[in-house]
This record gives sequence, C-alpha cells and structure tokens, in this order.
Amino acid sequence: MTLYSLILTTLTFGAMFSVLTLSLNLQYARGGMINFGTVAYFAAGAYAYAIFTQEPPSGLDQYAFGFGLPWYLGFLAAGVASLLFALVTGWPTLRLRGEYLALTTFAFAEVLHSFLLNERRIGNGSVGLSNVERPDPTLIGLNDMLTYAMAAVALMLVTAFFFHRLLKSPFGRTVDAIHDDEIAAQAIGKDGARIRLQVFVISAIPIGFAGALYAMTTTLVSPALFTAEITFFVWIALALGGEKTILGAILGTLALVFFQEAVGSIPFESVRAAQIAASVEEVVTGILFIIVLRWQPWEKLSRRAKA
Amino acid sequence: MTLFLQFFLTGIVTGSFLILATIGFSFTRRVEGFLNIAHAELLGVSAFTVWGLNNLLGWHIVPAAVVGIVFTALVGLAIGRIVYDPIRKLGPSVLLITSVGVAYAIGGTVDALVGTGIRTLDIPLATSYRFWGLRITDYQMLVVAFAAVATGSLALFLNKTSMGLAIRAISANPELAASRGIDVKSTSRITWMISSGLAGLSGTMLAIVATLSTDIAFHQILQILAVAILAGLGSLYAVIAAGLIVGVAMDLSVFWIPAGYRPLIAFAVVILVLLFRPEGLAGKKSR
Repeated sequence: MTLYSLILTTLTFGAMFSVLTLSLNLQYARGGMINFGTVAYFAAGAYAYAIFTQEPPSGLDQYAFGFGLPWYLGFLAAGVASLLFALVTGWPTLRLRGEYLALTTFAFAEVLHSFLLNERRIGNGSVGLSNVERPDPTLIGLNDMLTYAMAAVALMLVTAFFFHRLLKSPFGRTVDAIHDDEIAAQAIGKDGARIRLQVFVISAIPIGFAGALYAMTTTLVSPALFTAEITFFVWIALALGGEKTILGAILGTLALVFFQEAVGSIPFESVRAAQIAASVEEVVTGILFIIVLRWQPWEKLSRRAKA
Repeated sequence: MTLFLQFFLTGIVTGSFLILATIGFSFTRRVEGFLNIAHAELLGVSAFTVWGLNNLLGWHIVPAAVVGIVFTALVGLAIGRIVYDPIRKLGPSVLLITSVGVAYAIGGTVDALVGTGIRTLDIPLATSYRFWGLRITDYQMLVVAFAAVATGSLALFLNKTSMGLAIRAISANPELAASRGIDVKSTSRITWMISSGLAGLSGTMLAIVATLSTDIAFHQILQILAVAILAGLGSLYAVIAAGLIVGVAMDLSVFWIPAGYRPLIAFAVVILVLLFRPEGLAGKKSR
C-alpha cells in the first residue's frame, strides 16, 4: 500500500468513525450517558441504506425487502433508522444511569446483532447483502476513493459543526446544567430524562449516516462487520483523543485508524506473522487506552491552557 | 417430555458453569465497586494456559489445571494492583471503561501467543451416563460439582473468616470499614486473587467441556453480564439463582425457538430485568 492510499483509507474510515466518536462525546462527556451499544446505531444505518437501495430479492436470496431506491433516499433512510432505533432503545432505558445504562445499551446491540445474524429475512443472515448500491463518482470524472474520503470528511465536519453549535446554544447549556447538577436543573423546570433522550436521539442520527457511508464504501453489509469491537474501538478512540473536546474526538479516531491501517499495510512474509502483528496491535491499543485513562494528559493540558 | 427434561438438565449444567464464571465477576463488583469487563478474558488466560501445559508440554490435566488456576489468580492480582488500584478514585465509570482496554490487552496477548484455530485438551473422551433416559457426562457432573464446591467455600469464607468479614465490611461501606482499621489494600489483594482464581477455575472447566478458540472469552462476557445483572450485581446466593435461571432459560429456549437465538435469551433477560427491576432480582432500591 502506498502512502497516498494509506492516507486516503485513514481519512475515509477515520472520518467515518469520528462521527461515532463525536456522538459518544456528546452522549458521555456532555450527557453523562455510557452507551456501550454504539455499533447498533451504526448497523441500523448501514442496513437501512442497503435494504432501501437493494434490488428486490430474487432466486436464492433470503431477504424479504429490497426497495431498489436511489442512493440519496437510502441515505436519508439510514438517518431515520438510527433515530428510530435510538428512540426505541433510549426511551425505556434512559432512566438507568452509569453502568446499568452501559449494560442495557450493550444488550440491545447484541440483540440487534443476533437478529441480523439469525433472521434471514432482514438482511440475508450471516451472508449479508453484497454489491450494495453506491453513487459512482467516476461517471462525472471524479476519483472513486478520493470522493468517498471527501464525503466522509464532509460528514464529519458537518457533524462536528452541528454538535458545536448545539452545545453553544441554550439547549447545550441545559445539557451541561443537568450534567453538573441534575436536581438544581430540575428545580428550574428542566426534565433531565427528557433532555437526555433528546441528546441520545440527536447524536444517533449522524451515526446512521456514517453507517450508510460505510455500506457505500465497502459495498457490503453483514453481521460480521458490526460487532461490539466497533463500540469498544470508538470508546478507545474517544479516550485517546481526550473526551471533552470535539477536536480531540476527531484526532483520537484518526490517529487510531491510522495506526491500525499502518500496521495492516506492513507486508508480512507469512500469515502467522500478520496474525501476530494484528494481535500485538490490539495489545498496544489496549495499553495506550489504559495509560491515557490513568494519566489523562489531555485533561491536564487543557486545564493548563485555561489557567 | 424426555427431551424437555434433557434440555432442562443441560440447562442446569450450563447454569452451573455460568455460576462459576460469574461469582468472581460479581465478587469484584461488590468489593472493588465496578464491572470488570476484562474478567472473561481471564477465563481465556486460564483455558489456554491449561491447554498449553497439557498439549504442548504433555502435562497431565490435573497439575496443568492447578498451575493454570494459580497463574490466572496471579495475573488477576497483578492487573488489579497495576491497572485498577491507581485509578480507583476516578470512579466506577472510568474503571469500567478502562477494563475494556484491559480486555483488549489480554485478548490480544492470548491471540498473539495461541493464534487462530480450534483447540481441544488431550484428555479422555467424556463418558456418558444414563439415568431414567436422561444423558449426562462425567465432565458435566464435574462442572456442577465444582460450582457447588466453589460457591459453598466462598460462602463459608465470607461468613466465617475474619478476612471474609473484612471483605463484606468493605463492600457494604468502604469509608467506614477503612476508618475502623480494616486494611483496604490487603483485602483488595485477596479479592483479586479469589475472583481471578475463580475465573481460572471456570476457564479450566471450559477447556474441559468445550472446544477452545481465542474468541471464547468474549462470548463468555455476554453471558456473565446477563447473570450478574439478573443477580442484581450483589449477593452470592442471587448469583446461584440467576445462573441457574439463565442457563435453564437458554437451553430450554431451544425447545421452542431456533438454536441460533440461544445467546439472545441471556440478553432478553438483561433488558427485561433492567427495565422492570433496575436493581436486579435481589437488589434493593438504592435511588
């Protein structure tokens, strides 16, 4: 892999996953909610996109619906699907706090995963949906990879900008007030559970869009692509980048994706060597994560900057 | 009807295994105050240590199991001291998230050392016994026996020894316990040893009754969480009840719905319990 394609891949997937990290940042650092099921909203978006754009089933296909719609409708459907899934999972669970919320969201993600795997009528079961429809930028003379990288970056920037504005608005101040002192916020008539649900649902929408973009880029959706590893990956990225800032969330994700892609692009002599490299990469990621959470260098830096 | 009873019996065995896998987790939660997602990775550490000693070095299964369990207890102790102790003041959420990093590090190490593929121990095949038309193997009986012995001795330890009382005092009220002169450090060490040793025991059991691949640890954490939540993240007896309920529910579910949904039962249990009884089966209302 050349340096150019390494950077492009990092940008594409890094920007895409940054959207997830940004949403977690909003949910955790601002809303105080531990969402351990992020992958589910991502999967909901990707599957919605694939199902809306896929040709109707024929022959040996086992999925029930394929609407054959154009890509932009699929893209919208992805955001809506993620929003609906956030409503369905958030509405009953957001009165739970801390680790209990972490566990229920995790459980919901596993339930969705299990359904996608076993219920062939949704998305062809473990086979998944392949040849997912995608707009072809080469038709108008654009480079394929570059365009998808740009699209991912654009989605990331729009999400970051939107979240930034949201947090600066009166709504954002309410969110912070509830995070700092829920009882005081309630005393002035702010309903904590309701605001939390709003934050949860709003932050799920871009995850759905990222899912659609992911399906377009890889042209495949299958349960194996949407495991809890993604959730944990995003958490690690968030901790690496420093959980309080939007820029940190983005840089953390880009750095982590770059690190993984770089290790993945080393040409190994044997399969075993590549396996070991992948495992060592996992170990290094885990240790980095532990170190960052322990010493919290970014928190200290930002505190020093303020002082 | 026989088939139904057979599923029920297998469910008891599954449940006993889940109890073994969960008591250590639940114990850590109670004393150290957080959910240690990396707990299940310790099952993998022990299972593959036993496998390595037994298969690669040709040890007999019994010494291999003993060394595997002791080694796992020490690994758990080391992680507790090095990783979790220094950040305890940051609160349960940070500890929970950190444990994900620990799980990555342990899982990756096991992957790097063992590699992919399916492994089995070099032990005699299970002998199957029949009682009134129901089958059970000697290894399955071993799992049930170990679950009973482990929970029994843990209960005795917690209720009858001064160290056990100290641990219970800390889990009830850490500040008060510390101010009354209980050595928090040494109880914490004992806790890590015991819970990791129990993880080691259940990993060894897993190696005996199942085929091993390096991703088993992750599948176990899902079920461990289910049992722990149902038990209300607390009492030992609740863990026993919850383990049996989840085990029997998972195995009996095969009677009505496709077997692919078996793991899902555990999660349906988690969601339902948390929605209707957020503090678990035996939990008290704390908010």
